[in-house]
Amino acid sequence: MSAVLQSLVNQPYKHGFVTEIESDIAPKGLNEDIIRLISTKKNEPEWLLSFRLKAYQKWLTMTEPEWQNVHYPKIDFQAISYYSAPKPKKKLASMDEVDPELLRTFEKLGVPMHERAALAGVAVDVIFDSVSVATTYKEKLAEVGIIFCSISEAVQTHPELIQKYLGSVVPVGDNYFAALNSAVFTDGSFCFIPKGVKCPMDLSTYFRINTEGSGQFERTLIIAEEGASVSYLEGCTAPRFDTNQLHAAVVELIALDNADIKYSTVQNWYAGDENGVGGIFNFVTKRGLAKGINSRISWTQVETGSAITWKYPSCILRGDNSVGEFYSVAVTNNYQQADTGTKMIHLGKNTRSTIVSKGISSGHSNSSYRGLVRIAPTAENARNYSQCDSMLIGDQCGAHTFPYIQVHNNSAKVEHEASTSKIGEDQLFYFSQRGIDAEEAVSMIINGFCKDVFQQLPMEFAVEATKLLSFKLEGSVG
Amino acid sequence: MSETTHTNYLECLLKSWSTKPTESLSWLSQLRARAIDRVSTQRLPTKRDEEWRFTDISSLADLPYQPSQPDSNLQVQDIAHLCVKEVKNRLVFVDGHYSSQLSTIIDSAALVIGNLPAFLSTHASILESHLGQYAKFDNNVFTALNTAFLRDGALILIPKHTAIAEPVHLLFIATQNEVTSYPRCLLIGETGSNVTLIEDYVALQQGTYITNSVTEINLAANAHAKHIRIQRESTQAFHLANCAVSLAHASNYQSVSISLGSQISRYNLDVRLTDEAAECTIDGLTLIADRQLADTHTCIDHLKPNGTSRQQHKCIVDDAAHAVFNGKIMVRPHAQHTNSSQSSRNLLLSKTAQVNTKPQLEIFADDVKCAHGATVGQLDQEEIFYLESRGLSEVAARNLLTYAFGAEIISRIPVTSLRQQLEQTVLNQTQSN
Repeated sequence: MSAVLQSLVNQPYKHGFVTEIESDIAPKGLNEDIIRLISTKKNEPEWLLSFRLKAYQKWLTMTEPEWQNVHYPKIDFQAISYYSAPKPKKKLASMDEVDPELLRTFEKLGVPMHERAALAGVAVDVIFDSVSVATTYKEKLAEVGIIFCSISEAVQTHPELIQKYLGSVVPVGDNYFAALNSAVFTDGSFCFIPKGVKCPMDLSTYFRINTEGSGQFERTLIIAEEGASVSYLEGCTAPRFDTNQLHAAVVELIALDNADIKYSTVQNWYAGDENGVGGIFNFVTKRGLAKGINSRISWTQVETGSAITWKYPSCILRGDNSVGEFYSVAVTNNYQQADTGTKMIHLGKNTRSTIVSKGISSGHSNSSYRGLVRIAPTAENARNYSQCDSMLIGDQCGAHTFPYIQVHNNSAKVEHEASTSKIGEDQLFYFSQRGIDAEEAVSMIINGFCKDVFQQLPMEFAVEATKLLSFKLEGSVG
Repeated sequence: MSETTHTNYLECLLKSWSTKPTESLSWLSQLRARAIDRVSTQRLPTKRDEEWRFTDISSLADLPYQPSQPDSNLQVQDIAHLCVKEVKNRLVFVDGHYSSQLSTIIDSAALVIGNLPAFLSTHASILESHLGQYAKFDNNVFTALNTAFLRDGALILIPKHTAIAEPVHLLFIATQNEVTSYPRCLLIGETGSNVTLIEDYVALQQGTYITNSVTEINLAANAHAKHIRIQRESTQAFHLANCAVSLAHASNYQSVSISLGSQISRYNLDVRLTDEAAECTIDGLTLIADRQLADTHTCIDHLKPNGTSRQQHKCIVDDAAHAVFNGKIMVRPHAQHTNSSQSSRNLLLSKTAQVNTKPQLEIFADDVKCAHGATVGQLDQEEIFYLESRGLSEVAARNLLTYAFGAEIISRIPVTSLRQQLEQTVLNQTQSN
């Protein structure tokens, strides 16, 4: 059985190619001049530049966090190029004018950039290295008043919205990597769903890191006004390099009264090779503010890539009766390290939150669940349910749980449970008795283990995630 | 609280130490010297330290720090109400100092029991190989302090294949205010031995003082020990305790710790399962009110395969009290077939009560069964309704359920009279009108 699982886990990374494309790269290093350069290149208003500079000043006073359960060499922030963009030939009028090399890249990745290719009607914003290269279905969305574009475009066309909401959920000095991102973010997606609009299709952003030695710092901002609802997907890949690349993103979600935001991620950055060389350092700050009454924010993530994952999608449940959800599957193999989880901050009355976290570790990897459930004194009748299960494949890996539960109100009800298990011989025996070979049995057991989370994903993503998982774990059971 | 104050606090402590006469026994003075060395390189923990995140002990630095002096005018009748009737062997320490007139030792033939200095010459090699070997002071300033001030202490050694039927009672009585006492306890269970130990911290009057205690327990193969720990200090006192347990092959350790007193209390329990098939059961109850803070940190470390651990910790928190629980379970590489479960249950009785709980698992072996759970909440409405439907008033139903919540842990105490006494305490504390 071990050989089958081994080969199951050790599938090569399929998205490791580099696209030969002419890029406009800023010199390496970080200083005020670079920040001014980014701001000028993007033709930004004065207030945004001062936002960046304020973040940079804050960042200088901060130190890199050390509390997380991951180990990596010190990052040299001066050896990173903070801006890299495919050189535009000219201003693009339609999709057909996008650099064919780029289009081929995304076709290879299976991202539907051509509107006709978008089977399920998913609107896609594509981010290549630091900038957005294309956004589909813009006009159709605009008909119902939805703004979906890159954040740099939104800065030009809707500066008032950006100014109002940018940094309102994740302040510039929130943490080390968020401060860095606030200083140097280059692009990202912006999405605004006006009052009472249910977004007619899933929105999606596809991130691709291409240039070696560059960092990717994108910023996503989603606002759902009163009664609006949206489902948003995010996917990411990167080529195979022997050096580590830094990815420090910030995602902010804002849900007003009765609004509903569902954010799904399938993260498949390059994870490094079987010896732990190379791979992306993924340090991401994601936070949703359930600001209005009855609002709802739901995070779903499938984390399979990155050499290091450091990410805690959180919900601040400020509105009364607001709901926060977190569904996560984190798979680590070889020398990957994942420290991920969530924070549920209950402030409003009758707020509810659900946490379902599944960790699968194999090889020499370590995966940690780190979660905080905080019930503030104002949160009457708050309710939380958390479940975090880990599965270990092999005896070289580790699984860790660090749940922090802080209750300051006696009407709250908080439950947490966790378990650790392995794929048992008797389970595999049962399958083989039914004529199912070990490889398929393992894949079925793992899918069953992750079912609670996959159910939360939009259909196409669920299929992708299932496939991704079986590739990822190919050959690892033994 | 500034850093300098902390350093000063420790420096003052050290100064008071240096005036003490030095012992002739070299290994013991070396142990003390090492501990003093460690103290001088450390500072008092603050809320910025992860291990002390919720427990602010900065007020400790404002307190008088003098070590307590022996002052025993206590008579046997003064402590009669604290005695447990099943007990034959009792060691009494007043403010950390051994009192031979209050202690009773009956089975001195069956086991080695008494005050540490009495055995320094007769049992030197055993003491040297155990004392200070389990409670490490490298990263623990309080254990280091206790070791630095090590003089009196309870020593209990159960010889091979000996079962002691009656429990051994260690009574630590606080009588002086504004002093620090350093109780120390060492239990050695040799192969196949069996003992029940009661470790009991009491105060004869209200007042502010510091207890900094260290207990070390070593169980050899197939040894069994039941450890009942009761902390009922004055509600203005500070209680800082470390207990380190080392378990050998197929040994069995059962612990029930009850925390009732102290303004701020901290109990660190570290259990290491150093060989195969060791078992431990750890139960805890914290029952606090007013502005008390009770912090329990436990670490169960499975180093070898086939170990079993069960843990249940309950907190009943009233008024503006604050309970902290941090339960870590480690399963080291190759500790396969470990079976471990942990549950943290918390009951908040008032709007201003607080709980911080963190059940933590760190697992490095794949063929294990580990589960933990935590709940925080109020009494179940349906349970209250059920009792009301049987004719109880709502208040009576609540009182009964609160009592039952705590009594589950108390019921695991194997000493009848002590159990009844504590049941009464829980009953009194959980009755509201």
